[in-house]
Amino acid sequence: MLKLTVPMKFQSLLLTAILTVLASFQTGCEDEIKVNVDYNQPKLVVDAFINNLPQTQTITLSRAVNYFDTNTAPAITNAQVLLFDTTAGKPFFFQHTEKGKYQFTPNASSGDTFTIGHDYALFILVDGDTLASFCNLSRTATFDSIRLVDVEGNGPPINTTGYYVELMAKDAFGKGDFYWIKTFRNDTFLSDIDQLNISADMGNTSTDIDGELFIYPVRYSGVNDFLRSFKKDEKIRLEIHSISPIAYGWFNLVRNENQNGGLFATPPANIFSNIIAVNKNPKNTLGGLFCMSAVVKQEILIPE
Amino acid sequence: MIRLLFVVIISVFIPQAINAQVATISGYVRDSISQETISKAEITATLTTNASPSNGNPALPNNNTVKVSTAQKAVTNAYGFYSLSLKPGNWKLVVSSNGYQDYVRFVTLTESKELNFNLPIESDAMKAIEITAKRNNNVKSLDVSVQSINGQTIKKIPALLGEPDVIRSVQLLPGVTTVGEGASGFNVRGGGIDQNLVLMDEAPVFNSAHLFGFFSIFNPDAVKDVELVKGGIPAQYGGRLSSTLDVKTRDGNRSRLAGSGGIGTIFSRLTLEGPLALPQGKGLKSLTKNRKTPAKSSFLISGRRSYIDYLAKPFLNDDLAGSQFYFYDLTTKFNYSRGKDNFFISSYIGDDVFKAAGLFGVKWGNSTVTGRWNHVFNNKLFSNFTYFYSRYRYNLEFTNRDVTFNWQSYIVNNSAKADFTYSINPKNTANFGLQSTYYRFIPGDARATSETLNIRFGLPDRFGFENAVYLSNDWNSNGKFSIRAGMRLSQFAYLGPGKVYLYNREPGKQGILDSTYTTQRGEVVANYIYPEPRLSIKWQTGKTHSIKGGYNRMVQNLHLISNTAASVPFDVWQPTTNNIKPEIADQVSIGYFRNFGKNSTLETSIETYYKSLQNQVDYIDGANLLLNEFLEADLLTGIGRAYGLECYVKKSGGDLTGWISYTLSRSERKVEGINDNNWYANRFDRLHNLAVVVQYKINLRWEFAANFIFSSGTPTTFYTGQYKVQGYTVPDAGSNARNNVRNPDYHRLDLSLTYYRKKNPKWESFWVFSTYNTYNRRNPFSIYFATNFQNKNYNAAIRYSVIGSIVPAISYNFKF
Repeated sequence: MLKLTVPMKFQSLLLTAILTVLASFQTGCEDEIKVNVDYNQPKLVVDAFINNLPQTQTITLSRAVNYFDTNTAPAITNAQVLLFDTTAGKPFFFQHTEKGKYQFTPNASSGDTFTIGHDYALFILVDGDTLASFCNLSRTATFDSIRLVDVEGNGPPINTTGYYVELMAKDAFGKGDFYWIKTFRNDTFLSDIDQLNISADMGNTSTDIDGELFIYPVRYSGVNDFLRSFKKDEKIRLEIHSISPIAYGWFNLVRNENQNGGLFATPPANIFSNIIAVNKNPKNTLGGLFCMSAVVKQEILIPE
Repeated sequence: MIRLLFVVIISVFIPQAINAQVATISGYVRDSISQETISKAEITATLTTNASPSNGNPALPNNNTVKVSTAQKAVTNAYGFYSLSLKPGNWKLVVSSNGYQDYVRFVTLTESKELNFNLPIESDAMKAIEITAKRNNNVKSLDVSVQSINGQTIKKIPALLGEPDVIRSVQLLPGVTTVGEGASGFNVRGGGIDQNLVLMDEAPVFNSAHLFGFFSIFNPDAVKDVELVKGGIPAQYGGRLSSTLDVKTRDGNRSRLAGSGGIGTIFSRLTLEGPLALPQGKGLKSLTKNRKTPAKSSFLISGRRSYIDYLAKPFLNDDLAGSQFYFYDLTTKFNYSRGKDNFFISSYIGDDVFKAAGLFGVKWGNSTVTGRWNHVFNNKLFSNFTYFYSRYRYNLEFTNRDVTFNWQSYIVNNSAKADFTYSINPKNTANFGLQSTYYRFIPGDARATSETLNIRFGLPDRFGFENAVYLSNDWNSNGKFSIRAGMRLSQFAYLGPGKVYLYNREPGKQGILDSTYTTQRGEVVANYIYPEPRLSIKWQTGKTHSIKGGYNRMVQNLHLISNTAASVPFDVWQPTTNNIKPEIADQVSIGYFRNFGKNSTLETSIETYYKSLQNQVDYIDGANLLLNEFLEADLLTGIGRAYGLECYVKKSGGDLTGWISYTLSRSERKVEGINDNNWYANRFDRLHNLAVVVQYKINLRWEFAANFIFSSGTPTTFYTGQYKVQGYTVPDAGSNARNNVRNPDYHRLDLSLTYYRKKNPKWESFWVFSTYNTYNRRNPFSIYFATNFQNKNYNAAIRYSVIGSIVPAISYNFKF
């Protein structure tokens, strides 16, 4: 059964258009107000996105804060972090470096690398709690090229004169592949939630169509910043990270919760975590995610 | 309980059905000029010693008459028909109805006969006198928790952009609330918006909102009257838990061609009506003159269209040029009378359209067609046969490069019903009937097309068949006690063809698909039968006061699937299935009704109710409701309760009229898997609700009107914490409490001033100058939290107001 969810972009476009029209003769408005909230029992947060690139891998442990707190989240520095390749039976120890960052640098010559297809387990010992999480390192897409698109005048979805890129890459054949596609402008990750670009097989949701080029919203709308086109001499890098189905679901919820407002708002919901405490009566409630990714990437320099 | 009700019904039927020496009068009560039938007109018969020498009209009380017995009464039904059984003798009949002069007639009864009455419209001079007989209807009628508003009143309430509106007027009545501006529909006694049966000439309407609820689909020029039944719901109504909003359109003038309309800030309306017969006279002028004999048939055509798109055109830039933003509706009605038969055909069609060329398009609307046939079998048995078709549809379309996605959703139903009113004897009137409805649900029919592509996908259709039979009797003992006891037996079958899903469920968790199977056309997948007892009791404690109570059980097999703050036009209707159980409500209510003043011009009531609900639909966190084949896995069910106290004071005589309604209420829900399985307030729960509606006639030309509304803030859930993962903010609601905080209170003042131009019998017109939200309050529709776009470490609470400032408007209205 083929399914389609309305892309978030469309929903917000529609909402914006409707509200613009309403505002033209009515008087709807948004403004910031002061609200006090109590946040009891802050969660212990595990940010563990590990990939198979030959570079230092980082797991960050921190403590959640009040919604309106603008300070940096308190770091958890007293933990022990172990990643375990359960297929090969090989441990990887992550060492605390600073501010709650636990790091490990793979070494190809000693064979300390992560292998596609293997299952991995993450174990964290903290405050007497034993935390665990499991993830498979799944295959990623085939990257062909980055196509440069020179748009003049009106282009979808808004007035977009300038340079844009199009990701020419194919989904791996067979259903059940999930991707997180990251765009970097001069090595800076475009991390706005509105630019979160995830894909189930080649589309917005897992469909019967499979093994082809990513659909247009993923390969074009998703990788560009339509508020700021790419400029001459800018270096654009696209990375395709394979992610677990759980991570795909998690990203969707994070996006939904961040874009939840106005007439179409749904009740706020807590976002699950795939980290669990295995001991009885754990001290901590948990947030965050563990995900293993295989990565392919390419970059392009914007010409004259 | 059920058995007891049957005993009550049968016991009142049998002994009094055999009653000799009775003559029955029956007939219609009509407007003397337009020949529009008048419902709820009261016919009061008093036995007199001598027949009056003259049958006067209108007549003042005749000093020669001597009352020798208590009065016998009958009330006209929705079609203006009455039947009254009396002993042979000399009777004085007084026919009265709000807005009309009393009509008095003396008759000597020897046998049954047909008597039709034509009531003249109350003139301004007559209004000052006020006749007591027509008052006290609220106290005397057996209707419990019923509120009516007529078209005239609706037009006098200050309205948004100067446009009078049915639903927004209903929201000013006790027990009725709304989530806020921009929310479709209304909530009655703590029920959801899908729990109101909104009928337009007997056909149900599935979305009563234009423009996201700012206006409703009913054109006030075409509306005759509106009745909201909140409790003690009679047996002829069923299928929704909370209320019935019965909107009746006018039949159309049978005496002359007439018209009315208005030109407003955002839309205009026009209504034409008149007899369907050859003109009695020559030239166009004769069309607008009253006929000597009213025609046997008439028509009414009433339309509205907004012109926001035309007004906005100069301001739309290239991208939005060619955009369409409008709504329209068209109500038509024809009727024809022949002897003992009346025929009616009415239809409604309306759409809201938002379209930006090449980008997206949204369209939604209802269409209904109703055919009705009234037949008077004899002067005791009145019947009405109805067939209706009703459809609600929405369509979403968006274009991404050269691929166009189109997605439609429908609910369609065809229904036939027969309703009978049998006047057994002066003390008993029975109502009985049956109804069958066939539903087709098209939850999502989607298509992706381009030059090279044409894929059809979406969700399969679903089918349902609903049947009901009912029997109810109004029994009036001696004028002191009255009982309406009824029973409705409803059945719903979820039918094939289709795929049936079986889920393994753990309470409060998403269902896990166990297996599926395919069914053939007409195959019954799930069948539910429920008896629905109904009861209303009145104890007339005095001439101007009474105590009334009611009980009703309601069953609902249609469910509006929506988890957004306010319901939106794109919510999908689902039938009861093997996975979704019928919703059930039991309600008891009791109230004290008392009128004050010399002519009972001050009506007051105080009512209290308690409602218990079962199988209420809720959703798992992050549920996917659109085009989700496994939607049922994301649904949770729970119980609900709603209770409250409603106070109402209405003044209806003199230069100052209006009402004050205050409701103290709670509406809560308990669903396993939500709020740690504890009770939580519904999204539309509002503790205090106050509406003050005032109209003051300054002089013959000027009229002033004002509304003030106060309601407690709706509950909402706030995030309390946050953390960052991969640079993204993850908001956190802490202990997961649902609806743990309240939005600020809502209050608003609207004013209007109406100027009636010099009376010209050929062209009456008036101007309305109004301000909505007069003191410029920024009432929040919702408060939501968001991370700052530029500084990701900064989170803010955003107050979102749909109407955040004063809205002035001018409109011009006319009538000829």
